[in-house]
Amino acid sequence: MTDTLIQNLLNGALTGCIYALIALGLSLIFGVMNVVNFAHGDLVMVSMYLTFWIGLGTGIDAAITPLLTFPLLFLIGLLVYYAIIDRTLRQRYVTQIAVTVGLMTFLRALAQLIWKAQPRALPYSLIQGSIQIGSYTILASRLVSAAVSVLVIFGISLFLSRTWAGRAIRAASDDLDAASLHGVDFRQTYALAFGLGSALTAIAGGLLMTFQQVDPTMGVRFGLLSWCVLAMAGLGSIPGLLISGVIVGAAEAMGMSLWDPRARSLVIYLLFILVLWLRPRGLFGRK
Amino acid sequence: MSAPILQVAHLTKRFGNLIALNDVSLEIREGELFSIIGPNGAGKSTLFFNIIGLQKPDAGQILFRGMDITGKPPHKICDLGITCTFQVPRAFASMTIEEAIRVGAYKRYGERDVARKVDEVIALCDLEEHRRQRCCDIGLSLLRRVELARALATEPMLLLLDEAGAGLNPTELTELMTVLRRLNEEQHITLCIVEHVMQMVMGLCQRILVLDYGEVIAEGSPQEISTNPRVIEAYLGKGAVC
Ligand SMILES: Nc1ncnc2c1ncn2[C@@H]1O[C@H](COP(=O)(O)OP(=O)(O)OP(=O)(O)O)[C@@H](O)[C@H]1O
Ligand SMILES: [Mg+2]
Repeated sequence: MTDTLIQNLLNGALTGCIYALIALGLSLIFGVMNVVNFAHGDLVMVSMYLTFWIGLGTGIDAAITPLLTFPLLFLIGLLVYYAIIDRTLRQRYVTQIAVTVGLMTFLRALAQLIWKAQPRALPYSLIQGSIQIGSYTILASRLVSAAVSVLVIFGISLFLSRTWAGRAIRAASDDLDAASLHGVDFRQTYALAFGLGSALTAIAGGLLMTFQQVDPTMGVRFGLLSWCVLAMAGLGSIPGLLISGVIVGAAEAMGMSLWDPRARSLVIYLLFILVLWLRPRGLFGRK
Repeated sequence: MSAPILQVAHLTKRFGNLIALNDVSLEIREGELFSIIGPNGAGKSTLFFNIIGLQKPDAGQILFRGMDITGKPPHKICDLGITCTFQVPRAFASMTIEEAIRVGAYKRYGERDVARKVDEVIALCDLEEHRRQRCCDIGLSLLRRVELARALATEPMLLLLDEAGAGLNPTELTELMTVLRRLNEEQHITLCIVEHVMQMVMGLCQRILVLDYGEVIAEGSPQEISTNPRVIEAYLGKGAVC
């Protein structure tokens, strides 16, 4: 009993690193331009399908497809920003929400149309086998996925703190007016943040496909998950995001093994509400 | 007399029913130390916001070195060579002082030379010992210096300072005035300061414009302004003159 629990917790914590990666994309978008993007989770779903498609069509492994899907999702992000988001920045919140919910529904409908409703998975992965630690077995693909997620998160953190573009993104997020007065082009910066935030879902999608299947309704789950991770971490702390991702992943796994596999979303909802109720600015948040 | 660097013609800005700026015209010449004064709510900050593009005027025109910049976005105006500091300092909360200045310096320098510009500005504003402090942890007088340094890093030709002297003690004020004078003389930056601290206005500026309820009520040298009955009335209320 405890053995299965610990086994599940380990798996959950590892998956949580991918959740943190997805949430990092969301926090780039929400933290910088204050846009509540409901479509973020559906971009993960789309990335997973693209990975599936590429894997089936060309035999390129899911672990490698992000090399192709990352630039693609970046472009999609730019397109979404310029076509939709940019026009609603000065509108009321309701308009913004309507627009991103619309995009979410559109993406899901599109996935259902192209890939039908049944779950899809790739037959194999480059990352084979599993690692035995004591009495626990960890799939190598999960371990590698978690490691890659952590590396990418670390890389983005370096990008934000060390480069011109990264500093422009942070400046715009701290104080847009002050940033533009000092030469930061807000439209370009927002587009970059949105593109990058979306592109991160490509990496997450590829990693998830190494050990998981995809269906069109998954977007909502990932959307919810990433909001939960972000709310828990609060804005402005990247290590906090990682810790929260691991907590959410572990909590989800615990709910599934102690309670009921169908309770996974319920556990996340509960956690989400609890965090917002006890500490609205998150565990690690600045504001 | 040098050429005009900034010309504002018949500028009007409304907020609903409130007319914050009413047909304001002014001209600042290259290399000048210019000041705009006026009672609270006169429209001084609003005038700055409209010049640098954070707000769009309802009517009127703004020319910078002969070029129409009315309604251009702030980063374009910064490109051209105007920037501004805020009345209430607004530093980048997630950054250190050095990084905040760097954001400004990227305007003219690439990753390779940016550090040199940052060092130069830090030395000029005497921020060396504070460079690694975080903007969210520092006090008002230091914040004001960071605001100035960050603005200078963009290498403006015209620098607008909104109450840069407010809240400073006499020593800090003298230091600020020395720095501003040096900027004007050595780097030929044209300065336009909005200020309530009269010591600074009178000691620094060659020409003063007075705003009251969004209208220009006087313009002239410090002597002319300090004896102008309309100005005295605006500041001290009706009846103060006679
Ligand atoms: N965004 C805004 N919306 C509505 N009214 C505004 C706005 N900004 C300024 N005002 C009003 O416009 C008028 C001019 O304000 P402004 O801040 O320009 O004055 P000021 O001369 O800078 O005053 P102070 O010396 O107090 O800084 C004031 O009556 C103010 O209440
Ligand atoms: Mg003001």
